[in-house]
Amino acid sequence: MEPTTTTPPEPRSRRGRRPHGKVRRRLAGALALGIGLLSVGALYSVVEPAPQTAVAQAADAATIAKGQDLYNNACITCHGANLQGVQDRGPSLVGVGDAAVYFQVSSGRMPLARQEAQAMRKPPTQTFDPHTQEGADNLAALGAFVQANGGGPQLPAATGEALRGDDPARGGELFRLNCASCHNFTGRGGALSSGKFAPSLDPANEDQIYAAMLTGPQNMPKFSDAQLSPQEKKDIIAYIKSVSDGNNDVGGSGLGGIGPTSEGVIAFVVGLAAIVGFAMWLGAKQ
Amino acid sequence: MSGATTGEGGVTSAPTAAELEEMTPEQLARLAGDLDDVDVQHNAPKFPVPGTRAEKRAERAVAGWFTLSALSALAFVIAFIWWPHEYVAPDQPGYRMYSLYTPVVGVTFGLAVLALGIGVISYVKKFFPSEVSVQQRHDGPSDEVARRTVMAQLAAAGKDTTIARRTVIKRSAGAAAGLFGIGLGIAAIGPLIRNPWKDGPNSPLWITGWKSTNGETVYMRADTGDLEDIRRVRPEDMEPGSMQTVFPYRLSEQHDEEALLKAQKAGDAPVMLIRLRPGTKVVKRAGQENFNYGDYYAFSKICTHLGCPTSLYEAQDNRILCPCHQSQFLATEYARPVFGPATRALPQLPITVDDEGYFIATSDFHEAVGPAFWERRS
Repeated sequence: MEPTTTTPPEPRSRRGRRPHGKVRRRLAGALALGIGLLSVGALYSVVEPAPQTAVAQAADAATIAKGQDLYNNACITCHGANLQGVQDRGPSLVGVGDAAVYFQVSSGRMPLARQEAQAMRKPPTQTFDPHTQEGADNLAALGAFVQANGGGPQLPAATGEALRGDDPARGGELFRLNCASCHNFTGRGGALSSGKFAPSLDPANEDQIYAAMLTGPQNMPKFSDAQLSPQEKKDIIAYIKSVSDGNNDVGGSGLGGIGPTSEGVIAFVVGLAAIVGFAMWLGAKQ
Repeated sequence: MSGATTGEGGVTSAPTAAELEEMTPEQLARLAGDLDDVDVQHNAPKFPVPGTRAEKRAERAVAGWFTLSALSALAFVIAFIWWPHEYVAPDQPGYRMYSLYTPVVGVTFGLAVLALGIGVISYVKKFFPSEVSVQQRHDGPSDEVARRTVMAQLAAAGKDTTIARRTVIKRSAGAAAGLFGIGLGIAAIGPLIRNPWKDGPNSPLWITGWKSTNGETVYMRADTGDLEDIRRVRPEDMEPGSMQTVFPYRLSEQHDEEALLKAQKAGDAPVMLIRLRPGTKVVKRAGQENFNYGDYYAFSKICTHLGCPTSLYEAQDNRILCPCHQSQFLATEYARPVFGPATRALPQLPITVDDEGYFIATSDFHEAVGPAFWERRS
């Protein structure tokens, strides 16, 4: 701002002198115009809203390069040099987003052990172990690389327990409508067709559950933010966490959490044994 | 019993009043057994010498059970009234105490009943004398005198009421009792008699909530877990490779909680709105080529086998799996069955998008949803 306000008086005060007036005027005009343009540009760069994606990508060039290195070592065989996928090996990763990368790699499903009905959860490789700083960095770098090639659903800013909503009851309602048909009403998982299955939700952390809803891994349908809003997703996570990890075992043991089958068997065997034992004691002679 | 008193066994005859007066309680008790033809072979008290250590030990054991029962009952009353029973979420303080409410109430109540029972039984086992008695068993009917006199007595009593010659009373009483019986029968059987076809083509089995009444547009709404929070579904709400359960919704139902509830909870209303991935090869059913909207296909969620909700949509191979009997339907081929006991395709709902960009049903299903029934003829 300062230059524009201080400079204009200069040419005006000297306007009275005749010699070289034309050249001076033009020079001063050009100078004023240049300074004005510069200051407007500077002002714009301050006021302009920060474009998140552009900034992130610009800042992450090194991370993306690191991610590409990791990709070339761990993923390229099945997903191709340009993430286009390889016939009969792996699908294209263009547009899957870093949420999908986080879910598949942090849960150990990728890199795939072998081609089978579906990718199995296993301990993540050391390179991508989210529990170590290096592994978490590598995961983020790989995610940034995939994100930079086609975009796609991204992980939420919040992580861990911050992803648990405050209304597990509503989460339960939504869980039973959208998730329970495959994952069982307390997230124990269940069978699908041809050897596929919906896994138990016990070992999944909040970020993985959120990423799974967003990206629809394997045979799971996707749940976009318009279909289940972020708040609804968090409520669902709150519900899942309230019925897993032994939190729903009022009475001591969940008995597998698979409903009346195991509970009925236990009640029948234990109860009947107790009744028979009492009957024998009643009838026994001293 | 009558056999014993009439002296069929020939053991004892009833004593006179004077004899009864002179008898001791022990003699009376023995007489009771004798009259019933009971012979006590062996009777020995458990503790012939009172006050032994064994007797005291047995007494303590029994009293211990009763005391345990009493304490448990007291604990049950206290726990039932004062133990925190209001719901506490698992990650909140006080959850552990809350989660123990049911076990504590159950254990104390159960222990009170169990210990009381064990106390009674063990008292019987420890202190009742060990006795072996034999009672003669008498076969056959009552003797001739008893049978004849009883029948004559009943007949005489009946005759005394003069009912035999009061025809008007007999008939009116018969009518009252008979009609009341028929009324009871109608009340029991009436609810079972229904004519499900009385509405003709609009009978409940033929139509669903997706049928437009008086021309009103039927939108698709999502279940948000809150009946009043109505979210109409638009194409941009769903990603490729996703599925959403939708329910019929009319604008006139906006503030009508009962209608909203009916639309959302009706057994034949749920529809799976599936968005296939672009470029998926699709086979459409003849005559239903325009039922879909782009990549969006809407199928009834009710299995055509036995009516379970078939909402296990496998996004990779586009199969719809029914969890009850493993019927599988192919979403890319008009949801025709490809495995399992179902024999008919899931009915497809014709859909399009209105001027405002919301999904609407262009009509009801073109066939009855759910399992087959006699009149369906397919």
